[in-house]
Amino acid sequence: MRPAAATAVLGLALAVGAPTAWALARPDAAVGPPVQRVLESPAAVPPAPSGAPALPPVTTRDAAPVEASAARPPVRLDLPGLGVTAPVDQVGVAGDGQMALPEDVDRVGWYRFGPAPGADGNAVLAGHVDDREQGPGALFPLRDVEPGAELVVTDAAGEITRWRVVSRELVQKQVLPLDAIFAREGPARLVVITCGGPFLPEYSSYRDNVVVVAEPAADGTP
Amino acid sequence: MNTVRTLGRTAGVLTAAGAMALVATPALADNHTATVSVLHAVPDLPVDVYANGERLIDDFQPGTLTDPLELPAGDYDLALFPADAPDGSGQPLLSAMDVAVPAGANATVVAHLTEAGQPALTPFVNDTSTVPAGQARVTVRHTAAAPAVDVRAGGQVVVDGLTNPNGETLTVPAGTIPADVVLAGTDTVAIGPADLTLAEGTSTVVYAWGSEDAGFELAVQKVSAQHSAPSGVPGGSAGLADDAGLPLPVGAAAVARLVLAGAGAVRLARASR
Repeated sequence: MRPAAATAVLGLALAVGAPTAWALARPDAAVGPPVQRVLESPAAVPPAPSGAPALPPVTTRDAAPVEASAARPPVRLDLPGLGVTAPVDQVGVAGDGQMALPEDVDRVGWYRFGPAPGADGNAVLAGHVDDREQGPGALFPLRDVEPGAELVVTDAAGEITRWRVVSRELVQKQVLPLDAIFAREGPARLVVITCGGPFLPEYSSYRDNVVVVAEPAADGTP
Repeated sequence: MNTVRTLGRTAGVLTAAGAMALVATPALADNHTATVSVLHAVPDLPVDVYANGERLIDDFQPGTLTDPLELPAGDYDLALFPADAPDGSGQPLLSAMDVAVPAGANATVVAHLTEAGQPALTPFVNDTSTVPAGQARVTVRHTAAAPAVDVRAGGQVVVDGLTNPNGETLTVPAGTIPADVVLAGTDTVAIGPADLTLAEGTSTVVYAWGSEDAGFELAVQKVSAQHSAPSGVPGGSAGLADDAGLPLPVGAAAVARLVLAGAGAVRLARASR
């Protein structure tokens, strides 16, 4: 083949092939079952009202003020498969009503008003995916996590809990199922969140959240 | 305040706060039942509590609280007898007839002393509405044989001039608050200080109860309330994880290759002339 023809063919092949390869290699927007379906455990069935107004058994207890027993907060999150290891801070609610996150993108926030990892309900961990000055954050690789991947949480006493990823999904922030994500009842789950999807420069923000749901690993005992 | 006015007949050897009409809270309205808790806040007087002639609570001790009872909606006759009296005999210490318990209500019936030191039964309606994210709801109720009080948190008056049998509800940032109760307008501490843990997304009721002779104390009740989720999760400002379209390097390289292919094609065309 003449060099000119070769150049034309090669150029075209690369021009088409490289973006195609990129598109094929990029992570799927969602893997595993939809996050909302995973999070929505069946609602408790209220007891049927009895016909006769019988009085229920009564339990009583001391009404004196008691010290609340503090849950053991998580202090570190590891995703060994993706090389992620991040210290975890306790966070609450920011002034704008959103979940507060650590300023430092290398750190991850645990929503301290919700369950601790391992307690009933969803323990929510979240962190910035990146920052203009600091660059990529600890949870940058979260968009590549696959079902079955292991997450490890270490609590303040050094105890570890192991979690197995069930689902990852890119969810538009406007329709993020907040009540399901921040549920405090139901089976113990770990929900890890960062940002993702298209970046919207006019808002200096991403359109979507990357939501990863994990359940206790069967071999969860350390 | 949401204490209830009398609308029935009272009975008993001591004063009783008549019958009670409890206001239904639509948020948790259920067609069949109401949630009722009972707090015993009369010092030194263990009692048995009867509802419609049936013993509901045996040997109910001062300073104790029942867990929330799911009661079928309807009218109840309540009576308190001395705990050591043979069951179902004698004169009740306190009673309230035809207490209306409407479906969906959440209330606490408190046996307590009036300001003048007389035993009374007062129903309070509990606020079970949704608590904003990051916040806690606290209700303070004066059920002690004492004049008006101020409630202070961290030394600051947060409720002033509260009188028996009334209450006031506040929404505060969740956390542990050092609280005390002082005689209204003074620094004379009547109760406390005590650390109150107000957990996020919860509703806590704090009762000041007791008497000068028996001592004043606090009683704490957790009321079911729905917590709120945060309004969103932020998380990134640089666009490094942007996956809107082709990343710039991939796109630029593709364009460059198109140019290369074009150049090749042009040379091919020229050569073939």
